Amino acid sequence: MIISDAELAASFAIFAAKQAGAEEVTPDHLLLGCLQTISRFGIATIGPWDLDLQQMGVDWIEPPDGARPKVAYSQGAVDLYDRAARIARSTGEKRVDVDHLLVAFAMEEDGLMGELKREYGITSASWRAALAHVRSGAAGTPAPAQAESEKKIAREYLTPEEAAEALGVHVQTMRAYIRSERLPAYRVAGERAIRILRTDLAKVLEPLGKER
Amino acid sequence: MPLFVVKRDLPGVTPEILQSAGIRAKSCCAEITGEGQPVRWVRSFYLPETEQTHCYFEGVSKAVIEEANQRARIPFTGIVEVVEMTPEMV
Repeated sequence: MIISDAELAASFAIFAAKQAGAEEVTPDHLLLGCLQTISRFGIATIGPWDLDLQQMGVDWIEPPDGARPKVAYSQGAVDLYDRAARIARSTGEKRVDVDHLLVAFAMEEDGLMGELKREYGITSASWRAALAHVRSGAAGTPAPAQAESEKKIAREYLTPEEAAEALGVHVQTMRAYIRSERLPAYRVAGERAIRILRTDLAKVLEPLGKER
Repeated sequence: MPLFVVKRDLPGVTPEILQSAGIRAKSCCAEITGEGQPVRWVRSFYLPETEQTHCYFEGVSKAVIEEANQRARIPFTGIVEVVEMTPEMV
């Protein structure tokens, strides 16, 4: 089964709640989960803002092991999922994605989102505009940087970032495949660098018929 | 794994609420499975006439299915084990 970015965000949110020793997954945990899903090296970039997950208390390198309490979704988190689903539907998209979840936080004034708004001078409109540009930037004519990136992913061995781009999933999703050993990955001898064989990418694809 | 049906009364439910519940159900099933108790949401049917939903889950026990639904905060009226039968089986 392929994990969507929204599911990955949910998984990170649950982990954030467990890590905090909370009994419920709150909107703050959900926001952390969304930011972690779109982050690289612990930084979630949305529009002009580089949001540091480390500063928010997230261990973005390696989740600690050990027994953790069981957590349930809070009503606040349920309301945000409902709002994200309404936003997705209003834009004619069939699936709820992580950007719909992030947009659902636009009106929040309390909790972590409220703190981010005050610290970075974010308004509801500027947050929505930044997320709208993230989505529209993914379509249309390839920019020079995108064309360069497309050239790179034509190679036989790919970095996790290139593999994620080739498959059209988030890099954290790709790392989850590697961690769970669903996707073979190799270390360059003597280096920390990881490479993925392009032909192995098909191993995480399943025909839709299998889900039925 | 045994199959269970989770019955819900959801008057006035919208497709958005069902979709939201679906994401929560999947994430909680994945979490509980990761904790060592396999559970999977298989599929759901919405009955517009009665405003009920029948959601099918695979899991090691009824208690695990109950826990997944409680953690996902999706209300239900009952959980019963079912026996699957398809045209291919007869």
